[in-house]
Amino acid sequence: MLSALLEFLREKHRTTPVWLKVLIPVLGVGSLGVVAVLGAVLAFVITAWLGQPIPVLGFDQSIEQPIPFSHTIHAGTGVYENSLGDQVQGLGMDCTFCHRTVTTQANAGIPPVQFCTYCHQVIGKDESEPLTQIRMSAGIIGDDPQPINWRRVHRMPDHVRFVHEPHVRYLLDHPDKITGTSTGTNIGAASVCSTCHGDVASMKRTVTQVEPLKMGQCVNCHRDNNAPTDCASCHH
Amino acid sequence: MTLQREKRDYSWGMVVDVDKCTGCQACVLACQAENNVPLNLQDRFERARAMQWIRVERYWEGEFPDIKARFIPIMCQHCENAPCEPVCPVFATYHNNEGLNVQVYNRCVGTRYCANGCPYIVRFFNYWEPVWPEAFRNHLNPDVTVRSRGIMEKCSFCVQRIRRGVRNAERDGRKVQDGEIQTACTQACPTDALVFGNFNDKDSRVSKMKDDDRHYTLLPHLATDPNVVYLAQIDTDRSAGSSHG
Repeated sequence: MLSALLEFLREKHRTTPVWLKVLIPVLGVGSLGVVAVLGAVLAFVITAWLGQPIPVLGFDQSIEQPIPFSHTIHAGTGVYENSLGDQVQGLGMDCTFCHRTVTTQANAGIPPVQFCTYCHQVIGKDESEPLTQIRMSAGIIGDDPQPINWRRVHRMPDHVRFVHEPHVRYLLDHPDKITGTSTGTNIGAASVCSTCHGDVASMKRTVTQVEPLKMGQCVNCHRDNNAPTDCASCHH
Repeated sequence: MTLQREKRDYSWGMVVDVDKCTGCQACVLACQAENNVPLNLQDRFERARAMQWIRVERYWEGEFPDIKARFIPIMCQHCENAPCEPVCPVFATYHNNEGLNVQVYNRCVGTRYCANGCPYIVRFFNYWEPVWPEAFRNHLNPDVTVRSRGIMEKCSFCVQRIRRGVRNAERDGRKVQDGEIQTACTQACPTDALVFGNFNDKDSRVSKMKDDDRHYTLLPHLATDPNVVYLAQIDTDRSAGSSHG
């Protein structure tokens, strides 16, 4: 087929110089390459601009945790399927029951594994794989307790200092500013979490970052609510 | 536009009583530890690229054995008319409404104009990526950014401690009380030579100290109007007109 094309070109453009005959297919292939590069650059720029990585490009932010902890069963209020396939009524626990330091400190905090075993020493079947891991980690089963390497989902850059306490306090004082909705119980401080974290109570095995949490979002909210926009408030 | 001192909620400042300074360098060490300042090894000093947000300058006076050592701790003076601020092309350094000369690390592009403009030589450029020995990894302060290579840094009056103090005060619905916020250097000073506080509070310690007869500021002819006030050394020998017999 290629030889037929070359024959056609030779017939058609008998007067065309040889260098042009070579240049035409080179330019054709080259332009395809340029389009491909530009497309990749454009996809990168759009991804960076939106701040929400496009999942098909392999940037899915649903991070697998070492133990498939279910926020739905703990925080949700519906009926959910647990890791053994049983139907379980959601507990509707308050976010601050486990993330205890969120109302007083900078970090929301991940509970120590002993916290889990307050209940799960007794509650839950023995054949459950995640619960076995939890009990081993807490030293209830076996004699080699290892800490759980929870993976962080919401990560701020190193030059940002985000403190939960004043944000939770402000939203508690101004309930009309709460924009999120949660399928869990909305008691006390837990009612405000969904404004930035989305409906965590409906996230099954993995927690996803739903808001871009870029500086523009922070500054817009700070302007709207008459909060300080001094650089040194967050960057120091 | 920066507010005048009197119109601010807080106007942070420091008073350094040079008479009390023994040159022990505890402030220098405390500052390095609090603010994640990289270690200054010998080669950094040899190249004159050591980073010390606060340094104790030493001057010898007289000839041995009739000799005196003079010490003066020098940190960013947080000038009201700071020569470093207008020269920054990206507004990475500016004066905020609490009287602080703020350095915004993520804005800085590393032109080093500010360091050239600073008459007190208290701005330091990160010529290298900061490296700590393995044993120091968990000693870094999580409240302070680790500055990467290519940006400028300087004394921030421990702005992370100020923010925490102001936040706690706002939570309790009150103003920050005098002595509630301490910078790392004032906390470490064993002779209480460094005092940090709010100049707008007429009853604060710094407000009372800065009106002392001994007060002066560094390089006053440049009219930088610093927020760090020094109290001069009391020279008993000279006032008595005789030297040690």
